[in-house]
Amino acid sequence: MILRTPPQRKRRAGSDADLDADLDLDLAAAVAVATGRTPVSDRRLVPYGRPTALVSASGPEEPSGDMVCTYHCRQMVKSEFVVALDTAEKAVQEYRVMLDTLEKQLSKSEDERNTYHDKLNYVEQDLAATKGRESALQERLLKELGEYQERYRQQVKKIGELEVKLNKEIDSRISAESSSASAKETVKELERAMQRSSENLEREKKALQKELSYMQDDSKLSISKLNAELERMSLRAQNSEKEAKMLNEQLEDMKKQLNECLREKNETELRLLDSTPFSVQRNPTDDQKLIKLLQEELRNYEKEVHEARRLKSSYTNFELLSEKLLEEQSRRKRAETELSKLQEIEAKAQKLELELASCTSLLGNMPDVSSYSNIADLQRQALTDLNKLGEVTSRLKELEVTLEFAEISKQRAEGEATFAKERAESASREVKRLELLLTAVSEERDRLRKDHNMLSNQKTRDGDDMSSKKMESELSQMEKVVRELDNTLHEQRELISQQHAELNLMNEKLSIEARKAKSLEREGDQLRSQVALLESKLGHGDYSASSTKVLRMVNTLAMDSEAKETIEALQAELKKTKERLQAIEELKGQADAGTVVDANVAEKLAQLKNQVATLEKREERYKAVFLERISVFRKACCSLFGYQIVMNDEQQPNGIHVTRFTLQSVYAQTDDEKLEFLYESGSTNIVVNGYTSQHEIAQQVDVFIRKMKSIPAFTANLTMESFNKRSIC
Amino acid sequence: MASRSASKDIITLKGSAAIVSEFFGYAANSILYNRGVYPEESFAKVKKYGLPMLLTQDEAVKTFLTNLTSQLSEWLEGGKLQRIVLVIMSKATSEVLERWNFSIITDGEVVEKGVVKEKSDKEIMREIQAIMRQVNSCISFLPCLDEPCIFDVLAYTDSDTTVPFTWMESDAKLIDNPQMVKLHSFDTKIHKVDTLVSYKVDDLDEQ
Repeated sequence: MILRTPPQRKRRAGSDADLDADLDLDLAAAVAVATGRTPVSDRRLVPYGRPTALVSASGPEEPSGDMVCTYHCRQMVKSEFVVALDTAEKAVQEYRVMLDTLEKQLSKSEDERNTYHDKLNYVEQDLAATKGRESALQERLLKELGEYQERYRQQVKKIGELEVKLNKEIDSRISAESSSASAKETVKELERAMQRSSENLEREKKALQKELSYMQDDSKLSISKLNAELERMSLRAQNSEKEAKMLNEQLEDMKKQLNECLREKNETELRLLDSTPFSVQRNPTDDQKLIKLLQEELRNYEKEVHEARRLKSSYTNFELLSEKLLEEQSRRKRAETELSKLQEIEAKAQKLELELASCTSLLGNMPDVSSYSNIADLQRQALTDLNKLGEVTSRLKELEVTLEFAEISKQRAEGEATFAKERAESASREVKRLELLLTAVSEERDRLRKDHNMLSNQKTRDGDDMSSKKMESELSQMEKVVRELDNTLHEQRELISQQHAELNLMNEKLSIEARKAKSLEREGDQLRSQVALLESKLGHGDYSASSTKVLRMVNTLAMDSEAKETIEALQAELKKTKERLQAIEELKGQADAGTVVDANVAEKLAQLKNQVATLEKREERYKAVFLERISVFRKACCSLFGYQIVMNDEQQPNGIHVTRFTLQSVYAQTDDEKLEFLYESGSTNIVVNGYTSQHEIAQQVDVFIRKMKSIPAFTANLTMESFNKRSIC
Repeated sequence: MASRSASKDIITLKGSAAIVSEFFGYAANSILYNRGVYPEESFAKVKKYGLPMLLTQDEAVKTFLTNLTSQLSEWLEGGKLQRIVLVIMSKATSEVLERWNFSIITDGEVVEKGVVKEKSDKEIMREIQAIMRQVNSCISFLPCLDEPCIFDVLAYTDSDTTVPFTWMESDAKLIDNPQMVKLHSFDTKIHKVDTLVSYKVDDLDEQ
């Protein structure tokens, strides 16, 4: 057994010692417990791992109580050391396990840390994105705000314009009101004028009625006159008939007398022939002529009688005419009454027209006013008047029909009147002829008288006075008859003249009636035109709002088609608005998401901060634990393997990271006894330094590392050698 | 059709209302066909009033007219209807081009007292036939409807009439300075229907 005294351990300075201080202390404590003293160069035992500074600081002034190891002591120490080594090894194993667990925990914590770091990064990215979105939104909002402000300004402008318009409208309304007031005044004036005109019309109507009544009275008077004259005429006709009969009878008597006269004449002629052949030769021719003349006269008289009969028939015709005239007069009266009604209706229609015109003018003047209660009343009146008008038109038609009848009858009457005129003319002509005849007869009578006187002279001379007397008496009778006929003729002439006068009157009346009929026709035409106008208005579709309501079906086909079109348009608009809404919602969603993200981020941030804080705490704790553990581990490693390991990361000039491990044996006698290794990608190489370049060490490096390629063997051998050196020393 | 009693010549208010509303339905169909408001193919021929009449087969128009005639007969029975107007308008501008005016005069005594009147079915049908013939012949003088048109029906009712749910108050849809042609009229002794067509004067015609 090689006993080696451990070399005198010097105290190490530097930061590397701090980490393994506890471990060293523990080991030293264990050694100290086992030995009580540590061997040093001055034969005193120095506790292992104690910092040299402390020792050196306290060394010269206060020499420690550790005693220098003796041989016996060394043996004891060795056994104790072995025990302590075992315990230390166990502890190292425990520590290793602990280290493993800690490493696992560390790796876990590192993973967690990484994940949390990733999360943090993610959250930060989110935060940045949200910030970006927020800024975009803010920009959009600003833009929208600007647009809204512009719109607001425009609206304000519009409002201003509208206010101006409103003011204008108000002004126009005021003007309209003033115009309506003026229109009302005009309406009132018109109403007054209407009243005046209606009063005038009433007055005129009354005057006309008076005239009409006068006319009626006149016509009545004339009719009564005519009737009286007609009666007179009829009586005269009757008288004339009677006279004619009488005359006929007288004529017959005259004929008889003539026959007797002729007979007597023949007798006298015969006598005369017998008595005076010269006178007889001359006289019979004269007598025959006379007789012929007388016969002619008789024939003429007969003709006159016929004419008288004709005249009688004309009288009867006159009677018929008078009756017809009466009928016509009654018709005329009816027509006049209807005319008065027509005038009234015309006046009403004119009133209505005026009112309507005034209303339309009023409506024209007042553009905003659509209806007045007065207008409605007027319209109602107009409607009622229209109904009346309808009735009137029917009456008018009836009147027209009666007028036509009257015209026809008038024409007939005119024809008859002309016929009667012609007859009267013919009668007058005949009268003239009769007069001429009468004059001729009277001349012949005178001649006959003269002849008769001549004859009577002759008879007186001849002694035939009796027959001549008879003849004279007959002649005187004849004269009387002729006078009577003259008288009747004269009367008839008078009658004819009267009839002429009546006919003239009738003609005048007829002309008046014709004029009236024409005026009626004119009025009828006017009324017809008015009716046509009103009918056209009605046909046009006008209606009174007070009595009539115009309705239409709500869901008409036009409406349906319109509705379809509008629905389509609305649907299109709806689509657009939906799209807009979606866009806005998206924007809002983004904004909300941003805010939510913000809120979430804040929350998350808070959480993460908490987590980070906890993690940091944990990390600190882990660090602390790790430091504790690593220090334990290092101490354990140091105590177990006899080397203090210092690890440093280095960057080579070529940029490759290299880990430098610096090992210092616990048995190293100087600080320069350090082994340096570079760990690079799984391979560990020894770095040549002053210590390793020493011959003894360089040989070991060559043997163990370069030849045997075992660093642990090299370190173990070196540890043993240095331990021996120390223990031997 | 008309609710008639055993005797053919007696006519009741309900029967008269049915005759008038039915007449309006056929008249409207005839006008829509003759004036080309709806295409020719959408009409089918039936025999009515002793004439070949054309009835629309368009379901929408059919339902519209049936609803209309049922409402009209209701008003006619109540003596509330004064006039029915079929208005033909331009689809594009809604300008009124024609107004087919059916003025109705109701015998108030029949409505108030429920009096029964007498008129033969044949006579009424003959009168309606005359109107239908005139409606068909109106194409000869009415101006051509060159643009697509729509129609609407206005009912002039008494002001105290309650407006049904499917109806609404409207303006009279008048034509400015129209040309008017009076057609025949028919009388059921309860309802007298005067027909008149007023139309917008064609500018070309004026020139």
